[in-house]
Amino acid sequence: MSPPSPLSASDERPPRRALNLKSAPLELRMLLLALVIAVVLSLLSPHFLKTANLLNLLDQSVVVGIVSIGMTFVILTGGIDLSVGSVAGLTGVVLGLSLHHFSIPVSVLLAVLSGAAIGLFSGLLIAYFDLAAFVITLGVMAIGRSLAYIFSGQTSISDIPPAINDLVYTTVLGVQTNVLTLLALYALAWGYLTYTKGGRTIYAVGSNREAARTAGLDVLFYSVLPYVVSGALAAVAATLMSAQILSIDPLAGTGLELDAIAAVVIGGASLYGGRGTIVGTLIGVFIMVMIRNGLNLMGVSPFWQGSAIGGIIIAAVLAERLLSARARR
Amino acid sequence: MTQAGATLLEAREICKNFAQTRALAGASLRLRAGATHALLGANGAGKSTLSRVISGHIRRDSGEILYHGRPLDVRSPREALDAGIAMVMQETSLAPDLSVLENIFLPDLRRSGRLSRSAMRRRAGEILADLGQERSLSLEAEARDLSAAQRQLVEIAKALALNANLIVFDEPTASLSPSEVERLFDVIARLEAGNCAVVFVSHRLEEVFAISDEITVMREGRTVAASRPTSSLNQTELVRLMVGRDLGSIYATPAAASAGRGEPVLSVRNLRAPPAVRDVSFDLHRGEILGLGGLIGAGRSETVETLFGLRPRASGQVQFDGASFAPRNPAQAIRAGLGFVAEDRRRQSIVPDLSVRENLLLGHLGAHRGFGLGYGALAAKVDELMERLELPRDRLADPNLLNFSGGMQQKIIIARWLLLEPKALILDEPTKGVDIGTRASIYAILRDIAAKGAAILVISSEFEELLGLADRVIVMSDGASIADVPTAYLDEAKLTLLAAPRSSMERNRRVLQELASEQDGAAFWAILDEDRVFCLNAAAANAKADPALRAGATPRFEETQIAAALRARSLDFVLDPVSGLRSLLVDVKSHRGHELGSIGLVIGPDRTAPPADATRAAIIERFRQTV
Repeated sequence: MSPPSPLSASDERPPRRALNLKSAPLELRMLLLALVIAVVLSLLSPHFLKTANLLNLLDQSVVVGIVSIGMTFVILTGGIDLSVGSVAGLTGVVLGLSLHHFSIPVSVLLAVLSGAAIGLFSGLLIAYFDLAAFVITLGVMAIGRSLAYIFSGQTSISDIPPAINDLVYTTVLGVQTNVLTLLALYALAWGYLTYTKGGRTIYAVGSNREAARTAGLDVLFYSVLPYVVSGALAAVAATLMSAQILSIDPLAGTGLELDAIAAVVIGGASLYGGRGTIVGTLIGVFIMVMIRNGLNLMGVSPFWQGSAIGGIIIAAVLAERLLSARARR
Repeated sequence: MTQAGATLLEAREICKNFAQTRALAGASLRLRAGATHALLGANGAGKSTLSRVISGHIRRDSGEILYHGRPLDVRSPREALDAGIAMVMQETSLAPDLSVLENIFLPDLRRSGRLSRSAMRRRAGEILADLGQERSLSLEAEARDLSAAQRQLVEIAKALALNANLIVFDEPTASLSPSEVERLFDVIARLEAGNCAVVFVSHRLEEVFAISDEITVMREGRTVAASRPTSSLNQTELVRLMVGRDLGSIYATPAAASAGRGEPVLSVRNLRAPPAVRDVSFDLHRGEILGLGGLIGAGRSETVETLFGLRPRASGQVQFDGASFAPRNPAQAIRAGLGFVAEDRRRQSIVPDLSVRENLLLGHLGAHRGFGLGYGALAAKVDELMERLELPRDRLADPNLLNFSGGMQQKIIIARWLLLEPKALILDEPTKGVDIGTRASIYAILRDIAAKGAAILVISSEFEELLGLADRVIVMSDGASIADVPTAYLDEAKLTLLAAPRSSMERNRRVLQELASEQDGAAFWAILDEDRVFCLNAAAANAKADPALRAGATPRFEETQIAAALRARSLDFVLDPVSGLRSLLVDVKSHRGHELGSIGLVIGPDRTAPPADATRAAIIERFRQTV
């Protein structure tokens, strides 16, 4: 297509209207959407707004929420990580086997390091050899699941020390530690993406790789880093998941990648990279979890839930495209 | 069929906006069959946009187009082609994997029925012969292997193969050598005779005067002079129409070239990065503005990208700021004190998802060591820069730099580098797509920072800009630096001849070599000024007959061994009383009558001079075959 032949005439700005939904930040729009969904669900089900259910909502957000942080990093650079679910399964098995030999902290560390190492492997292949992220992480996804079966001996590992339960159920001011971990990780990720050289570089790389390189940014390093973060966080999620149910299944985390991608996309990130925020992702996670929870409360068949979630993803992306196309015209 | 001279197409009050950029704001154009119409304007005036509207590449927002007297509303290039309107694009649109032949007939591939390959070959051969390329351009070559000039020629051939009623040539000559330009002009003349309407877009006013019948001038998206007969305008008037004021005020007067020059900051020797960069050497001094000139495809961008660490280098020595310099990536170059405003703003400079402020600070981020951003410490400096560049400070918070005009975008990108206070700043086509007012302020900024001691290297395909801005020009051709000339001795004509691709210079050099050995002397091709000779090419067979002229050199007459002959400009051989060398000067012209300087022949000291008239005729004949 033709580049606009630029003129100084464009220095006029479009008139700004008070509280214009189209020009409001994306997170605000998504937050409004989340609130609307919450209101609708509380009208449909009397149980929805009860404290127990709200705490339950937070608890259900932990695993997909933590994985979605890494997914946000990856998607911001214009990549995708399909392997997070199987990496969660594999690192869970690593955790379970380590617990047979080592203390809890050492075992958790080993699980997280192995997650990071898998991410490093994918990231290097993708960034250094310029291979398609979709294909590489698809391959790693298959390998990860297969290794999880092999290492676990095709059965779930349930002889893990019950003390690991404390990772989830210790409460601070009435809030469970797994929820606190979730919120702390989001705060960290937000700070990193907003206030550090690395965070801004991730945005720049995803938005215009060539321009980032020309400006002297370390494109290679910050293209690999998100996959490392994603792998490590998949292991953190696997740890909290195992600690909660005191059992490790090689099948754990199946389909997690799709939930995470959905949350990031509902949160307003562009799959082309460069656009999206960590707060948006958190809201996206809440929207997903709320809908699933609401449908459960209303007794909707789990077979219909997939259709509902899928419909909402498509609607969110379509709405975003229409709004941003209009805002840019 | 429209009669010769009758109006073929009329565009009225065409408007077109891109996002928030107004590219066309009421442009009009009236084209007559059998006439060549020059469409002129400064960068960003809307010439290309108007051309693309006419040829269906872009849809207009409003306005009307009459074609053969009927309203025309083409929605795609295909519909335009069906109506007989073709366009030769500035940025070539060839399919890299297809052969030259297939590319030429690409628009025909959608027609139903079988294509006769032999008929296609015959027709393509005829077209290439018209363009003078029948021997140098193979129909079977893949488009990806062609040089920039060859790609442009195939693009032209593609339009000619359509037998269109109207052809738009958008800067067709920017990558062509003088001889190729001449052949193109012959072809255009033939199109005219065939009652075709031709639109010719060019920056080179000389060319416009050479071939156009009428001129339309655009400025800031509007037509400011419509269909004026070319003979009624002169160069000064044209420039004033294009610019809206006198040109002198755009390029502030160059500081005395020799006065301010300090020690070399960047010193490049035999830089090689094949295929585009073969042998480049030059020195860039503190406080000077150095131009890097040449045709499109000469390897200028590739040279500076190699220096900046964006491309791997094969060999060559580079000294920067007194130390050996071989950056493996831009970060190293930036930290050493080099800045680089790349050619393609959209692809290489602008990060659309970062705010304007962060775009400005992106170079800082690249150079910054540390975990945080370090923006805070720069706030005062950013404010000061915005003021200096006459940019409104409140626009820094805007979310998208792409919504700015080209001029504002470029200022922000320049500010990105000024913020780092580089020792040397390289700018690749800094005024591409920049409106005329902003151009003037960009020139002023560059002069200002040069005066403060920075070294500046500017690449520009607009020779006029190079001559107005730079103190000195390095001319590149086919990946090699071939001349280093102070702008005071240059003009557009000389630069055009110097920048010709090596291949034509090699042919020329062979002829000079033959002449030199036949007379056991020396031969050269040069342009003579009042007291200075500007040597384009030279060859010597006998060291004793060497007149001390080198390609790209600009000695005064008395600095050569044949000063008497250069001064006399006689039709006969002249004996130099100082050196004792006997020489003949022969003025040469192109077959269209364009002056191409003089061929000089120096006779070896042991030979007797042949008859002057016969020699002159022989030289003219041989020269004609090479240019």
